[in-house]
Amino acid sequence: MKITPEEAKHIADLAHLEFNDAGLQRMAAEMTKILTYIDQLNAAAVGGAPPVGATPLRDDVARPGIDRDLVERNAPAWRDGHFVVPKVIE
Amino acid sequence: MNVAESLAAIERLNPKLNAFLHVNRDAAGVSGAPLAVKDNIVTTDMPTTCASKILRGFTSPYDATVVMRLRKAGHAIVGKTNLDEFAMGSSTEHSAFGVTRNPWDTTRVAGGSSGGSAAAVAARMVPAALGSETGGSVRQPAAFCGVVGLKPTYGRVSRSGLVAFASGLDQIGIVTKTVRECAELLGVIAGHDPADSTTSSEPVDDYAADVDAGVKGMRFGVVREAVEKLEGDVRTNFEDALRVLRGAGAIVEEASVPTIGYAIAIYYIVANAEASANLARFDGVRYGHRSSRARTLRDMYFESRGAGFGAEVKRRIMLGTFALSSGYYEAYYGRAQAVRAKLRDDLLLAFNSYDFLLTPTTPEPAFKIGAKTGDPLSMYLSDIFTAPANLVGIPALAVPSGFSREGLPLSLQIMAPHFRERALFRAGAAFERETGYWKKAPAL
Repeated sequence: MKITPEEAKHIADLAHLEFNDAGLQRMAAEMTKILTYIDQLNAAAVGGAPPVGATPLRDDVARPGIDRDLVERNAPAWRDGHFVVPKVIE
Repeated sequence: MNVAESLAAIERLNPKLNAFLHVNRDAAGVSGAPLAVKDNIVTTDMPTTCASKILRGFTSPYDATVVMRLRKAGHAIVGKTNLDEFAMGSSTEHSAFGVTRNPWDTTRVAGGSSGGSAAAVAARMVPAALGSETGGSVRQPAAFCGVVGLKPTYGRVSRSGLVAFASGLDQIGIVTKTVRECAELLGVIAGHDPADSTTSSEPVDDYAADVDAGVKGMRFGVVREAVEKLEGDVRTNFEDALRVLRGAGAIVEEASVPTIGYAIAIYYIVANAEASANLARFDGVRYGHRSSRARTLRDMYFESRGAGFGAEVKRRIMLGTFALSSGYYEAYYGRAQAVRAKLRDDLLLAFNSYDFLLTPTTPEPAFKIGAKTGDPLSMYLSDIFTAPANLVGIPALAVPSGFSREGLPLSLQIMAPHFRERALFRAGAAFERETGYWKKAPAL
């Protein structure tokens, strides 16, 4: 599977990752090499093996959260009990 | 070894090995057995960085379930060990805070991602350490450092408080000098946890009960497809290990797991797909690094993640995002899951005939620092023998099996069916008793 720098840019946008042009070129080349190795999976005889089971989920019951003072300790920006982020709407 | 002796050993050796990212000097007054924890397992009394710049300075508001259980059992957590950033790597070279060096040869890697935990135990800085596994991250460094490494059955140990990499594969593991110590520690940390819905309610076994029982009459299958390409010292050493088991009365025969060679290809789709979703939480909003120059929310996400994550983490997020993206999901993620299901069936079928399956833990001993950093794929292939157990959820144990001609540790991997850890320790302890390699310590 060949990945072009343009395709790498599209994937980086989906993943919220910033790269410069050289970084995108390198990433496209590395992804091409790794995905070419992964393409051997197309040759595997899988028969009709039943799928790997689903993850068990806990009951959807409210539980106490983490104390706000403790959350604030790690927050990059905090005001009046809330996280502060750059303006979303102009 | 008591806490004061452990802290003194860390003080003396850490400048040479860089096995620890944080040391808890306040533990000096605590009685109880010293123990180290990988720095992707959260603790309230020390930071948790996952060896990433994006989590520099982060301290968790709660303890991981395993940490609570260790504290309750009287263990003193003396420090947090180095790892590949977010546990993504096989050499601890992808740590944002410097490589961990191998205690047997400091020009070589300690393995990874739990390289700090393995080096710390091998160098006798602590008697035991916790690591984490997604594709071999406890067993591979344990092999490179000449110590015992366990990956328990998926669901045996709570992941609550283990920073998620690939939730469907991740499992906390144990590094010790001997099999018995490993078995005893599993009894402390194993068991159902309401905070992790994937933990099993299967009763916690008396894991050390059979460590002296021997392997007479037990059946070991040698995975033909894994061992046919072995070379050099690893091949000779593996053949020696089979002779040791036969000498102890075990039945050792050739077994077949036709799909085992696909494990790395499956792994790098399944693990990275999960990682790309799990690491979306690191966006600069609630904790960790936030870019100070971003003017908009979108720029803040891109710049915080761009500057906070290292190259290997970005590579894996990119591969995972690709595998889940529109147009490629079925061809990559769907295909990988289908081959994974076949690998599971192949392994479980082999366990109909054998109590255990055997391979070397790694295809080669510890490599030189820098030897594989320019070639991600060759680094990934370090986990070729360990990744199958994670993909299928079975337990596996790495036991020291001797040394290469250069004096580097080699290791035997024993795999067992789900929840058969007690039998795994029995087999590992029998091999250990016959060989005694754990008694040799690196000269530091």
